[in-house]
Amino acid sequence: MSQFAQQVVLGLLLGGVYIAVALGFSLVWGILNIVNLAHGALVIVGSYITWDLFARLHIDPFLSLPIDALALFVIGYALQRGVINRVIRAPLLFTFLLTFGINLVIVSLLLLIFTADFRSVTPSYSGSGLHLGSVIIPYIRLGGLAVALVLASVLWAILNRTRTGAAILAVGADRDAAQLVGVDLRHIYALTFAIGAAFAGVAGGIISTFQSITPTAGDPYTLQAFAVVILGGLGRVSATIAGGLAFGLIEVLGQSAPGLGAGYANAIAFVVLVAVLVVRPRGLLGRLA
Amino acid sequence: MSATDRLRQHWRQRTTFAVIIVALAYLVLAPLTSIDAAQQVGLPLLTDRLWFRIATTVAMFVVMASGWNIIGGLTGYASFGNIAFFGLGAYTVGVLVANRGWPFPLALLVAPAVAALFALIVGLPLLRLRGHYFAVATLGVGVAVGEVVNNTSQLGASTGLTLPIVRSDLLFFYLMLAAAVIAVLTTWIILRTRFGYGLLAIRENEEAAAVIGVNTTFYKVAAFCIAAALTGLAGGIFAQWSSFVNQENVFAISDNVQMILMAVVGGAGTVLGPVAGAIALELLIQTLAGGGSGAVYSQIGLGVLLAACVIFIPRGVIDFFGGRSRLSLRYFRRTLHETSV
Repeated sequence: MSQFAQQVVLGLLLGGVYIAVALGFSLVWGILNIVNLAHGALVIVGSYITWDLFARLHIDPFLSLPIDALALFVIGYALQRGVINRVIRAPLLFTFLLTFGINLVIVSLLLLIFTADFRSVTPSYSGSGLHLGSVIIPYIRLGGLAVALVLASVLWAILNRTRTGAAILAVGADRDAAQLVGVDLRHIYALTFAIGAAFAGVAGGIISTFQSITPTAGDPYTLQAFAVVILGGLGRVSATIAGGLAFGLIEVLGQSAPGLGAGYANAIAFVVLVAVLVVRPRGLLGRLA
Repeated sequence: MSATDRLRQHWRQRTTFAVIIVALAYLVLAPLTSIDAAQQVGLPLLTDRLWFRIATTVAMFVVMASGWNIIGGLTGYASFGNIAFFGLGAYTVGVLVANRGWPFPLALLVAPAVAALFALIVGLPLLRLRGHYFAVATLGVGVAVGEVVNNTSQLGASTGLTLPIVRSDLLFFYLMLAAAVIAVLTTWIILRTRFGYGLLAIRENEEAAAVIGVNTTFYKVAAFCIAAALTGLAGGIFAQWSSFVNQENVFAISDNVQMILMAVVGGAGTVLGPVAGAIALELLIQTLAGGGSGAVYSQIGLGVLLAACVIFIPRGVIDFFGGRSRLSLRYFRRTLHETSV
């Protein structure tokens, strides 16, 4: 029983990571109608920045998160403004291929800069945790979940409490109508993608604290972000939170099931994905079909 | 169309035709001059073993790109999981030859059937999805099948399967070439039948297609199964050719994207587009990848090329043949403008 409780706790904490990864992915998808296959690569760029700052300057991984956000914001803005805006009116397949190409370039550049060696960030407190009876809550994972919830609140506030957020939502609702009332489409697109990338960077920073990173470590996160968005539903911050927590639970419990193991992470994500798509295409809390 | 235009088109068609004939003649004749017998007699050697490897790989990608084209280009369902069919085909041959001791030709016949059966099973639920949902769900199929295979001990798990080596560059070159011809012919035939028109109708407007009496579910699943059978065939040949099968070499995500890229760069929805794309891109990749650190640069080159093609030549290079469009700065500016915000 206590083992089960431990699994549930770990699942919810892992869900925090998925929330962080999926927030930006969901924003870009919902507003720009782009499934960003380079999302996982952007996440790992954030991981490498945190690792680099930790290895060289001994900056605590949680303190470097704002730097990840800023760097990825700039990269994201440039990518959307310079490249992705060029195909925004093209069929889905083209934005798909384009972001895949970007993914390939980013991963290869990381490989050139950082080589394929495993890197890990190990602050002094990485082994310790909170003991609640027989259940252990690792501090790092708890910090990750807290950061994810902060991110979600920030996104909610941006979208619902600022003029820029209103412009972003307007563009998502009707591109042409938004342009008619004076929204600068190119800027808002770039800004939306930049926010998505910044969130990916923070997620990457969190990931680097509990997982060894390599240039290709981000690829599974793209599929998992997709599964989280499908599971929760598109178009709401709360849906992403629900989706992330549910997916974290499913993954941890699924992997501890007899006959399965850590090797099945992608297969579990896929089964969840297809099951939800076939049974309830709107997701748990989604507004959009 | 003015008289000069017509003349230009006429010559362009002539040139294209001639190029194809020469290329085909070379494909068929060149290997003959490099077999050991020819070497002993002292015939001039036009080629070497590396050429075979590259030419066989090109033919393999012609099959995969053409297969993708049937579901992605003709039907408009951009599958990102066709590598699963390739891998299943390869593993079918791997298991039957390595574990059961079947002769390779017999096993090769089973490979496309297994791939098609799998396409039927996953196609029924997945082909109800559209756009992003279909693309990512199929992407998941590719990854998930690879993962399951990699964890199944009967399939060699992560060590993979080793097949008895068959040393004949010529045999595998012609097998792949035959598969490529079958793939191209299949596309050509489909485009000339009622079935093909049904697929195009689904691509353009699925509801309208259903209204005029196209059994969309059947058509889509059939197209998916045909694509799977072709890709599985290529996988089956590949298994015996490389005499080794594991998750990394037959479920490679990079191959998955390459086949899509080839079809799109060449011209999705056309018969010869995937062929042109496969030849051009594979030769480019082979040139860029000088081995060692060159592989990284070739990946970067591939990514940049992918972006450039998507932005500037969304209709593929085939658009420049047959007189529909002319390669010019204006063309690039127009395609760029069409899709920009």
